[in-house]
Amino acid sequence: MSFNHFIKELNGNRVEGELLKSVFYSLLTSFAILALLYFFKFRFIENFTETYGLYLFLAALSYALLTPLMHQVHAYKQFSCMSGMMIGMTAGMIAGFLASFYVGATNGMFYGSVFGMIIGISLGIWMGSCCGVMGFLEGIMAGFMGGLMGGMTAIMLLNDHLQTMAIIVFLVGGAILVALNYMIYYEMKEAERQRQGQHLLIITITAALTLATTWLMIFGPRSALFS
Amino acid sequence: MKNTTIVALIGILVIGGSLFLYMSNTAAQTNTVVGSGDVQRITLSEKNANYFPQVLNVKAGQPVELTLDSSVSGCYRSFTIRQLGVSQYARTPKETIKFTVPQPGSYRFSCSMGMGTGTLIAT
Repeated sequence: MSFNHFIKELNGNRVEGELLKSVFYSLLTSFAILALLYFFKFRFIENFTETYGLYLFLAALSYALLTPLMHQVHAYKQFSCMSGMMIGMTAGMIAGFLASFYVGATNGMFYGSVFGMIIGISLGIWMGSCCGVMGFLEGIMAGFMGGLMGGMTAIMLLNDHLQTMAIIVFLVGGAILVALNYMIYYEMKEAERQRQGQHLLIITITAALTLATTWLMIFGPRSALFS
Repeated sequence: MKNTTIVALIGILVIGGSLFLYMSNTAAQTNTVVGSGDVQRITLSEKNANYFPQVLNVKAGQPVELTLDSSVSGCYRSFTIRQLGVSQYARTPKETIKFTVPQPGSYRFSCSMGMGTGTLIAT
């Protein structure tokens, strides 16, 4: 079972055949929200694109890359312990780290880390619960660690190629998430879909994440370093 | 919708967003200060999570008296020029950092953790 089979399955009739649509719907939702907010509000904020543009853009792309994972886990519902722990850990760690990094870069370590931990732990619990209490715990731990590390890394790099590092962090996180999609496909290739209706769920979650990130970055509280 | 169409649309969204960001960025503002007087007095502030100004022009061989104003906080108050052996924690704006640059050249200054940085140019 090679990666090529997975690529072919992206055109198939299984759950994997809907993953690209998830990414597309998520991107469309995020970009529509950001475009509307920019047109009515953000374009009047001084230095908006220099200060927040890249991080909001990367946040939208990151949330879009998290959606195929939600899609697969929601559709298959039940996983083995080993797979569930890996899913909970990766979802919690990557979601927490990326969200925390972007918000940490604009609002400081405290607010970035708290936001990252909330996102990472919530997603880690939700994704990890597909195998029971082990994945649940793994999700909490990974979300906690990822949330703290993202904000800390952003602050330490404030005047040392922070934007370049944001792109690198996004690319590495994205590659890990795609690899996890492949792992789920590999583990569940014999299983049947258990649940329907992922697209509406994904659009709702994307909208909530984008709005929360945007509000926190632009209007939310910030550390002394950014005041 | 076919997958090739979806991939093309995703590509358009990503490239469009990147282009928008690239075209919207404007040039960085100038931030240079020149030390003046027999004792060259310079005041540094904190702006956009870094020292401001970030380029200091001084004369070599003449004493420099540097003040970190009240906007400078946290580890940024611990001012360091490693090449000149300058390392001082200025708790309040009243505590000045005094040093003399022996030779003309370019020297990097930073806070003790290397988060806030800038360049001192001695002529």
